[in-house]
Amino acid sequence: MNDPAITFCGDDALRLSAPDRDGRLARARQLRTTGDWLEVVPGRRDVTVQFDPLRHTPTEALAYLSHTLATPAPPPSRTRETVELPVHFGGKNGPDLADISNRTGLSEAELVSRLLSEPLQIDMLGFTPGFAYMSGLDDMIEIPRLLQPRQQVPAGSIGLITGQCGLYALAGPGGWPIIGRTRVSLFDPVSDKPFRLQPGMQVRLVDAAAS
Amino acid sequence: MTLTILQPGVQATLQGTPRIGARHLGVPASGPADPLSMALANRLVGNASDATAIEITFGGAAIRFDTPVSFAVTGAQSALAFAGRVVALHAAHTAQAGDELHIAPARQGCRVYVAIAANIDANVFLGSTSTYLPAALGGHEGRALKAGDTINLASVCVIPSMETPEDLHPVCSNSYALRAVEGPDFPASARRMWDETFTVTRRASRMGVELEGAFPHIPEDASHPSAAIFPGALQLPLGGRGFLLLADAQTTGGYPHLLQVIRADRHLLGQVRPGDRIRFLHRTQQQASDALRAKQALLSAWLPDFHL
Repeated sequence: MNDPAITFCGDDALRLSAPDRDGRLARARQLRTTGDWLEVVPGRRDVTVQFDPLRHTPTEALAYLSHTLATPAPPPSRTRETVELPVHFGGKNGPDLADISNRTGLSEAELVSRLLSEPLQIDMLGFTPGFAYMSGLDDMIEIPRLLQPRQQVPAGSIGLITGQCGLYALAGPGGWPIIGRTRVSLFDPVSDKPFRLQPGMQVRLVDAAAS
Repeated sequence: MTLTILQPGVQATLQGTPRIGARHLGVPASGPADPLSMALANRLVGNASDATAIEITFGGAAIRFDTPVSFAVTGAQSALAFAGRVVALHAAHTAQAGDELHIAPARQGCRVYVAIAANIDANVFLGSTSTYLPAALGGHEGRALKAGDTINLASVCVIPSMETPEDLHPVCSNSYALRAVEGPDFPASARRMWDETFTVTRRASRMGVELEGAFPHIPEDASHPSAAIFPGALQLPLGGRGFLLLADAQTTGGYPHLLQVIRADRHLLGQVRPGDRIRFLHRTQQQASDALRAKQALLSAWLPDFHL
């Protein structure tokens, strides 16, 4: 492999290392427009493309990817869409907020105000339909996943782990400690635009109790 | 025009074409766990390979036809009783209104496919009728079929009887040798994996199957930021049991991705059941590509519109 930033990810996918978020999302958009790939999936540090191995041999796929990467990705649009989400923090809506507070020594109010202080950036959607991985609190604040994942987390729940904040668009099992919940629908399969959130958007959380 | 589900078995869903191109929104492929078996069933009734059909886990199901229509059953090895007689898998049969099809529990393999010479009415999401249960997408109201469900049929056909050519009958087994390439997190210490035999545990669903056996040790502090993952991946969660991903698998994951079952053999994953044994055969990217083309060439005369 010539380019150290590209690795195979199985027999029908290639992975491009791309640590910078804006650069990564710009690359993903660029790769999606070429029509060479079945899937273009940004991760937290990379972009993975899946190809049709009946159409392209592995060598050809690698050449297509290198060819696209030779052109700089168009810069992201200057206006970044911001979605505002009213959130009910703590209590029944955020059953793990108190535990995170005990664990970190930060009061519940302090944790919430830190999260509200600036918009959260959406890194990627993944796991299940519409689940948004966002920037979270400072990496120094250590928040482990739950030892026992919950069988049922309500739709709209907001989870927190070290350095990341996650939005559950669907009800379902989940392993992130839950700190709050929004009533805004994040995934509506019968809508023209089923996904309220997209990678590259930013989310401003608002304390629903304060309004 | 309808058919009625009398017994759904452990889990029956409508499946059609996979959802392609939406993994970056968290939407998995879905579609048949064993696309080859579904294509063979559809072929017998004159449908496109990816036409909506019924996928039945472990057999043990019964259907009543409320209108004259042809159908075919493929997949896991199951005895079939139709209108009181024994009939064969891999052949098209024609029902009269009121006829019942009883599918016995599967002896080997995991999923049975029933194709109908008709358009099966189903919900569509992102261009696909495939059921994805966790988000209630596609299929019959987004859910698994229940006893008493009535499925609407359009463009119903009665067609001449036909059989799958003998040499294209897939072989169900309790032991699979799956060709695989190294995944992005394959550690140097894992070479012995190619000599091990793994056993499928009871944790098995359309999302994936859990494997028990001698997996390599991966240090817990090894960092794996969430990244794309696809059906056919063998992941190794912290508990030390492997998880082999199927059609409904999550789109991203943070566990070490050890192996990738090659595309040519991925259809076999839909027939793996708890207790089955699995070995992985080491292949290079080029060998995987050659194997895919070879298998595709074998299938294309009978299934011209099917792509592995």
